[in-house]
Amino acid sequence: MVLDPAHGGTDPGARGTEGITESDEVLQFATATKRALEAQGFQVILTREGNDNPSFDDRSARANAQRGAVFITLHIASTGLTGTARVYVEPEVPASNNITGLIPWDRAQAPFLTLSRKLGDLVQQELSKRFKGSPDTLQTAPVRQLRTTAAPAIAVEISSVSVKERAELDRMVPGVAEAIARGLTEFRPTYVVPTIPVPGGSVQP
Amino acid sequence: MTPKWTVWLGGVLLAAVIAAALYFPALRRRVNQAKELTEKTAEQARRELLPVAPVSTGDPKAKVIMFWGSRGQEGELLPVTVELPLSREPVLRAKQVLNTLLAGPVDTESRTLPPDAALLAFYILPDGTGVADFSDEIRTSIPSGIQSEQLAVESILRTLEANVPQVLRLKILIHGQEADTLAGHVDLTQLFRVNAKDAAGTQLDNPSPPGSKLPGPIRKAVETMRKATKR
Repeated sequence: MVLDPAHGGTDPGARGTEGITESDEVLQFATATKRALEAQGFQVILTREGNDNPSFDDRSARANAQRGAVFITLHIASTGLTGTARVYVEPEVPASNNITGLIPWDRAQAPFLTLSRKLGDLVQQELSKRFKGSPDTLQTAPVRQLRTTAAPAIAVEISSVSVKERAELDRMVPGVAEAIARGLTEFRPTYVVPTIPVPGGSVQP
Repeated sequence: MTPKWTVWLGGVLLAAVIAAALYFPALRRRVNQAKELTEKTAEQARRELLPVAPVSTGDPKAKVIMFWGSRGQEGELLPVTVELPLSREPVLRAKQVLNTLLAGPVDTESRTLPPDAALLAFYILPDGTGVADFSDEIRTSIPSGIQSEQLAVESILRTLEANVPQVLRLKILIHGQEADTLAGHVDLTQLFRVNAKDAAGTQLDNPSPPGSKLPGPIRKAVETMRKATKR
């Protein structure tokens, strides 16, 4: 399980009241989610543990280097109804015409889209149970981080850094962590790493 | 006994304090006025430097559909019909509708693009690919987040789809350059599908990460814009 607290380093992401920055807050969410997932028996890797800013590709590479990984990138928006959370997956990606049987880096998400949607649905359902006003269904958006990730991958966006006080966001941390952990626990039995057809009729995992 | 000169000095100082107290609010008003004037002048100067989509008085007024944010439905777009003098020429027409989109609706809460962002250039390539070049403010002034960036891009795409059918797909540039993302989230390396008739130009069908080779016509357009930006 690869958890990605977005932004960091010189990129603070969204900035809100009381000096709240997206990069600091998502780290809290990621740390709590890591604990919740480890309690369910998952192995968890964070793409960053401090205030640094790995590139999009470096973050994707953490998941792409693991077999059977799942990738969740965590964001906090500067807009949106406070106290809600949304799940995004990549929109439809056309099949690649490559004949090598390898997945092009730019389309790494393509073979995993169905799985990403399934995972996204499960996590969104759990989030909407806990955070009133959150959508019931997942949404699609061309999130840059997801495109190069060769694993079931979703983005979770929490609203928002524009809270009146930091405590409002802090109160959401356990709920988000629990929702992701439950969604992933439900997803685990259905996760089969997709096979990539290669020329000559064989398949490559 | 207190020397006479200290009484005089005290009196003078007291008068100075009273005068300063009376003068200070007026001074503050003047400073604020001067600040507003400077900001307005800088903004006006910037806008004057930008190429404005020419609106010919001869252009007939036409109804156009703009897609701005819905106040009631968070994260949704709402079609709004407005009447504009509109060119029949697709590039001018695209500039006119995008400038109207940037100018925003009457209800400023429904705007999808930052008020200080500007359209620097717009081209349509022979294969129906539109290239829209926006000023840096589209990246620096937009509220950061997946939802707000997605809404901004969608409002551009849907507005073009509704009013400029010649644009089949769109490449978004920022200040003449390719950008990885709009403001850290939404992927701008791709071509966005504008028109449902466009079977080929779906998003990610032609991803072009910065540094990679762009399709020839888009590369030429990017080069042209880079040169124009340098000038």
